Amino acid sequence: MATKRIVVDPITRIEGHLRVEAVVENGVITDAYSSGMMVRGLEIILRGRDPRDAWAFAQRACGVCTTIHALTSVRTVEDALGITVPKNAELIRNIMEAVLYVHDHVVHFYHLHALDWVDVVSALKADPGETSKIAQSISSWPKSSKGYFSDVRNRVQRFVDSGQLGIFANGYWGHKQMKLPPEVNLLAVAHYLEALEWQKEIVKVHAIFGGKNPHPNYLVGGMPCSINLNEVNAINNERLNFVGRLIKEANLFVNQVYIPDLIAIAGFYKDWGAIGGGLENYLSYGDFPTRGYNQPAAFKYPRGIVLDRNLNEVHEVDSSDPQQIREYIKHSWYNYSVGDDEALHPWRGETELNYTGPKPPFEHLDVTQKYSWIKTPRWRDKPMEVGPLSRMLVAYASGVPEVKSLVNDTLKRLNVPVGALFSTLGRTAARGLESILAAQWMQEFYDDLITNIKAGDTATFTRDKWEPSTWPESCQGVGMSEAPRGALAHFIRINDGAIENYQMVVPTTWNASPRDPAGRMSAFEASLIGTPVADIDQPLEIIRTIHSFDPCLACSVHLYDPRGKHIHKIRVV
Amino acid sequence: MGDEGVGVHAVRALQKKKLPPHVSCLDGGTGGMVLLGPMQEAQKIIIIDATMDGGPPGRVCRLVPKFSGDYPVALTAHDIGLKDVLDAFYLMGRVPEVILFAVSILPLSGGLSLDLSPEINKNLPQLIKTILMEIQ
Repeated sequence: MATKRIVVDPITRIEGHLRVEAVVENGVITDAYSSGMMVRGLEIILRGRDPRDAWAFAQRACGVCTTIHALTSVRTVEDALGITVPKNAELIRNIMEAVLYVHDHVVHFYHLHALDWVDVVSALKADPGETSKIAQSISSWPKSSKGYFSDVRNRVQRFVDSGQLGIFANGYWGHKQMKLPPEVNLLAVAHYLEALEWQKEIVKVHAIFGGKNPHPNYLVGGMPCSINLNEVNAINNERLNFVGRLIKEANLFVNQVYIPDLIAIAGFYKDWGAIGGGLENYLSYGDFPTRGYNQPAAFKYPRGIVLDRNLNEVHEVDSSDPQQIREYIKHSWYNYSVGDDEALHPWRGETELNYTGPKPPFEHLDVTQKYSWIKTPRWRDKPMEVGPLSRMLVAYASGVPEVKSLVNDTLKRLNVPVGALFSTLGRTAARGLESILAAQWMQEFYDDLITNIKAGDTATFTRDKWEPSTWPESCQGVGMSEAPRGALAHFIRINDGAIENYQMVVPTTWNASPRDPAGRMSAFEASLIGTPVADIDQPLEIIRTIHSFDPCLACSVHLYDPRGKHIHKIRVV
Repeated sequence: MGDEGVGVHAVRALQKKKLPPHVSCLDGGTGGMVLLGPMQEAQKIIIIDATMDGGPPGRVCRLVPKFSGDYPVALTAHDIGLKDVLDAFYLMGRVPEVILFAVSILPLSGGLSLDLSPEINKNLPQLIKTILMEIQ
């Protein structure tokens, strides 16, 4: 069989415009290129603005992880100015971030990624009685009667009969790599609909603490909400009770719906525990501070790097060290004043656009030249994977007890070796396990918040250093976080009260970036090598692995679509 | 970003007007399924959004989209967006009335900015007037 080049453009069911070109030889991928096809211009827009406003612009970078850019931005400015936020602000930020994790992971699993494994059309052939038996055997979730599943099947049938596959378009229905029996497909489709209902509720936590949703409010120095248990317009008893109820429901949904489904579906796809591994280095900045952001040792998720899949050692990472995190643009559509073979630490980062790609529409990108809008970040010149799997591995290697027992139990339940973690399945499972932890921690932060308030501490904001007159003439800062999709850092240089330079190194930049000058691949490209492709006209396998990263290009790139047209086809050439 | 933000500018302008008490304005930002909750609570939804449908910049089309497939092309950079919320209405069995005002824009040219281009800005008052009439 000859060598073929498959182009998937765009990858659907993600945020943003991603293009993948893969070379397939004898049914296996031997080479791959990942390209972000839109440019992000936030760095340019932020120049000269008040640093205290940066969060509001930064969070517009993305529609699905809105709050995390706001959080990272205020951390960045607080780092530059030397501000420590009050305890309540830390707890509220943690609750909001944990809510973001659980919301994002559930939506990713059911509404974006599940359709790579679940055949919606096959679900229409299911016997609702059998689905009911399966549901009751794996979970105590109450909605599990035969009548319930029968009703779901009829609802989806009516939707499909309308001739508008809409939300279910672009799925590879009937693909021979779809392995679930119709009854399990129906179970997953029913929970797809329940997850839609549930996610509407949980995001209300963001509106309560952040004033509105989407894009809740943040504040440099704390959180912009006042706590007064008996005041109508403040965070009062009633609102806190409501948040407490939503947190309990989140724990129930994750443990009784998401995780049983994940385990049941994974059981049919264990072969994916040996596919899609890719890079062997994993980076996590750590997150969920419990004693201030300058005390990473007290984070729920530890900070560190696992190299060469060695889980016996964790390396330290320091984003402010100019030698550690640096970005290349050799294969990205930018110019550097120091030359295109060089790398720059983000504090010295430059954003000068230089599109040299072909004029659309085109068949191929010239991958020997620049071929993406995404820059190529490296840690000490090494490529890194970021995301839930990286967090889980760094925590596991750091010996965090709750992570170790959760991971070990899951490996046992699925009856797969530790090596299965380094895979497409590992990534998807890590996201589920992380949701268990995030839901648990949400409850802990909530309990701590209530205890703190009852002890008489209602402070949510420190005015200390709010006024620019208290700032040094020039300073710089870095704010880090673990976004749902992985390590996120913002870098700022402030001069004379205004932003002189702002750079964002976002998770999908690490994962989706093009090769570096030494020709080393980043995570997406590396993960596709060795992946079997059963049907070259329907490369479902590519989509499975790319979706397992939960790519979100909206913040790695933005708005460059010269004709405004999505190609929406897979080209075999 | 640029003319892509015409909806945001329109919502801000509408918030300054005196609207009937049963009307509320929401800047949906780049939100996808996050918008399902607030939108489902409404009986009637008026969406204002930019489209790159090849029409002259500033042209406003009033559409009544039923399913995501009825949406104009490249309404958003976000593949899972507002259009999918429409399908979710059907699947969940509660379908509000949806009117879409699609404003034709051109691809970004020149520098990156948060401001509207002169062509779109010029048409903004007319757009607001049209929306106010729709509300009545």
